[in-house]
Amino acid sequence: MLFALILLPNITVGIFRILKGSTAADRMMTAQLFGTCGVAILLLLSAGMGNPVLIDIALVFALLAALATLTFIRRTWE
Amino acid sequence: MTYSILTLFDIILVLTLLWLGWRLLSSEDIFTAVILFISFGLMMALAWVRLRAPDVALAEAALGAGLTGPLFLAALRRMNRTRKGERRLDDHENREEDQRTNPEQTQTL
Amino acid sequence: MAILHHSGTILIITGLLFFLSGTVGLIRFPDVYSRLHALTKADNVGLGCVACGLALQSNNWAVAAKLLLIWLLVLIASSASCHLIASSAMQKNIKPWMRP
Repeated sequence: MLFALILLPNITVGIFRILKGSTAADRMMTAQLFGTCGVAILLLLSAGMGNPVLIDIALVFALLAALATLTFIRRTWE
Repeated sequence: MTYSILTLFDIILVLTLLWLGWRLLSSEDIFTAVILFISFGLMMALAWVRLRAPDVALAEAALGAGLTGPLFLAALRRMNRTRKGERRLDDHENREEDQRTNPEQTQTL
Repeated sequence: MAILHHSGTILIITGLLFFLSGTVGLIRFPDVYSRLHALTKADNVGLGCVACGLALQSNNWAVAAKLLLIWLLVLIASSASCHLIASSAMQKNIKPWMRP
């Protein structure tokens, strides 16, 4: 539980990069950071709350986190 | 001990969600707003997990991260094909208050 | 069992340090490529350490296999997107940061 609490401000600090980021790719990379940190927080929460279902949500996070970046490269940042 | 740690986690989560929502609504660049929206979806999934609703969290993760974000990003390109540079929501929109205060400028648009 | 539990805790703490360094790199580094380097590598090692630590602490083979599968998926996804972002930034003629 304590570990998840340490990881959450880690995400919060990343918002500064979204607001400041010089190029569009920096902003997109922060979304990627949110995905990776979110997976780690979900795994730690599933151990802390004693709920093995949360691992499946982390699996969905891991599968779908790349989609936004791929769409950004292929469609938006031409 | 565990409860106080969880309460602190919830407080930080709620403050982050509020800050994200405020910055999302007040940002002028649409691309930043889209990225903030994707981040908001991910944090909202964590909030649903803490509310002990893992099924809603699953739906939120799939919809927020997998469907809505790429749809917005793909729509953004269609929007700014006409004009590069800063992307404003109300760029080519004719509003009533503009016509009232400043009729010449809206006619040149 | 106690040895497994404690080594898992040490691995998780190591992973948290990697996550922390990745976020510091994302905030402090000067250009796209170095930020990409900090984010992708450090965060994936951190996630791997956290997943391995939790797999050591879980008493179930299926759960441990699922944790390692998640790590593998994140690794594939983030390395692919890192390559895409870097090559696309090179195509757009974004200059790498040089020491002034």
